[in-house]
Amino acid sequence: MSDLSLIARREALQREAAPSVNVFALVRHLPIGLYSSLGLIAAWTLASEFQLAPALFLPSPITVLRQFAIVATDGFSNATLAQHAGTSLFRVLAAFAIAASIGIPLGLAMGINRWVRGVFDPPISFYWPIPPLAYLPLIIIWLGIGETAKIALITLAMLAPIVVSAQAGVRSVSVGRIQAALSLGATKRQVFLHVIARGALPEILTGLRIAIGAGWGTLVAAELVAATKGLGFMTLSAAQFLVTEVVFVGIFSIAALALTCLAAIRLLERLLTPWKGKD
Amino acid sequence: MTLAIEHGSVTYRSQDQSMVQALADITLEIPERGLVVALGASGCGKTSLLNVMAGFQPLTSGSATFDGRPIAGPGRDRGVVFQKDTLYPWLNVRDNVAFGLRLQGWNSAARHTRAAELLDLVELGDFAAAAPHQLSGGMRQRVGLARALATDPKVLLMDEPFGALDSLTRETMQELLVEVWARTRKTIFFITHAIEEALFLGTEIVVMSPRPGRIVRRYRLDFVHRFAQGEDAAAVRSDPAFIALREEIRTLIHDTGRRRHERPQLDRAA
Repeated sequence: MSDLSLIARREALQREAAPSVNVFALVRHLPIGLYSSLGLIAAWTLASEFQLAPALFLPSPITVLRQFAIVATDGFSNATLAQHAGTSLFRVLAAFAIAASIGIPLGLAMGINRWVRGVFDPPISFYWPIPPLAYLPLIIIWLGIGETAKIALITLAMLAPIVVSAQAGVRSVSVGRIQAALSLGATKRQVFLHVIARGALPEILTGLRIAIGAGWGTLVAAELVAATKGLGFMTLSAAQFLVTEVVFVGIFSIAALALTCLAAIRLLERLLTPWKGKD
Repeated sequence: MTLAIEHGSVTYRSQDQSMVQALADITLEIPERGLVVALGASGCGKTSLLNVMAGFQPLTSGSATFDGRPIAGPGRDRGVVFQKDTLYPWLNVRDNVAFGLRLQGWNSAARHTRAAELLDLVELGDFAAAAPHQLSGGMRQRVGLARALATDPKVLLMDEPFGALDSLTRETMQELLVEVWARTRKTIFFITHAIEEALFLGTEIVVMSPRPGRIVRRYRLDFVHRFAQGEDAAAVRSDPAFIALREEIRTLIHDTGRRRHERPQLDRAA
């Protein structure tokens, strides 16, 4: 009896003695991506510290961080960082809204109707692989150099992946699920609304995620001509004056906004399609 | 008389452009409140037969009627339970069961009451709020059965619904189905390739043979009545008559299958 209680007491003591935060366990459980990112920043710091490249070409992380604060308060090219970011965000989100509201219905229609598919498939397959920079001149000729042309360019870059994924979403709906609805008395319209459109949702969200990436990727091209604000414009004009720190600030700002948009869509995916991958 | 097929044949063009006869001259009647089981190896056209009854596929020749009217397409009077899980993953269990009612415009309170009744019937009362992907295969098939029953069809068409389940779950599901059949007094057409399942469930078995799919033998049985009237399932399944019939049908299916295999070789020899 006393032996048993002794053992129990010793075990309890050992448990208390064990550190509540095991550093090694913590280090092992942090995501790998964190270490690789820290490694890259360390390499960058060392490279600029030992002057492997002239500071004009490769400013140190600290300089870039300081420049962030300066651009945020004093601005660059007649606008603060927030104004540049706001302008770009507006362009991308406006294009996203237009591309989604055209692309989702069009893709769904192409998925269920071979006539719609026949009419729209060739032009979309034709223009999708063309880099937006290649048709930018044409858009400027047609739409001018104002806001319309910029949003149109980003919209076009986003439209194709949305259309293609919505169409693929329709095809991913199993015949069995459609037959089940029909034998429960569904009309064609009900099958479309309750089964096909809902069933295509996971693919549509994937398409929206790809589109967001494509949209931010096209931003700099869109702000290449006749822009006075925007992160792409800020980065381009900083490059013209060889203010490399601001170029870095622009790149990181675009990356931060793009990653935020992607995270928002991932969150939406988790909320709207929790069954994805388990179905 | 409810569902009837007379001299029904289905022929379709396969991908290599050759004509395949899935069903040849099938005449079959599913009597009211019967539990008719189509039994056969894969490729014997049993799913085609069910698809014709459900209205998913037309006959190439012959007639398919339901209550005297030709079957023109799928409809609410014929509920279908599928082999593969066809539940809607974006709806919870209750809303899956109530899906057909929602299509008809039932209000949500009435839908919930009806769904709860049916979930109790298939012994899933506690899982109304669960998502389909959280359930086991057997539970999902029970939800599928409840969904098909919700709209109160006259006939249930069941396409190898227990085919993907392990043998223990399968027997439990068979017993549950008989209880549901006895309680709801539905007419059921059931497809399977498992001989014991057919023997346990059927008031009538039609044995089919492949290429072209045709009926080779019909049996009338009362094992299902014995279980429905309270006899122990194990006792029914181990009854000498049950086992003798199982062996007879096994031999029948093997022989019809083998003959099909041997014929081309004989042709070549001749």
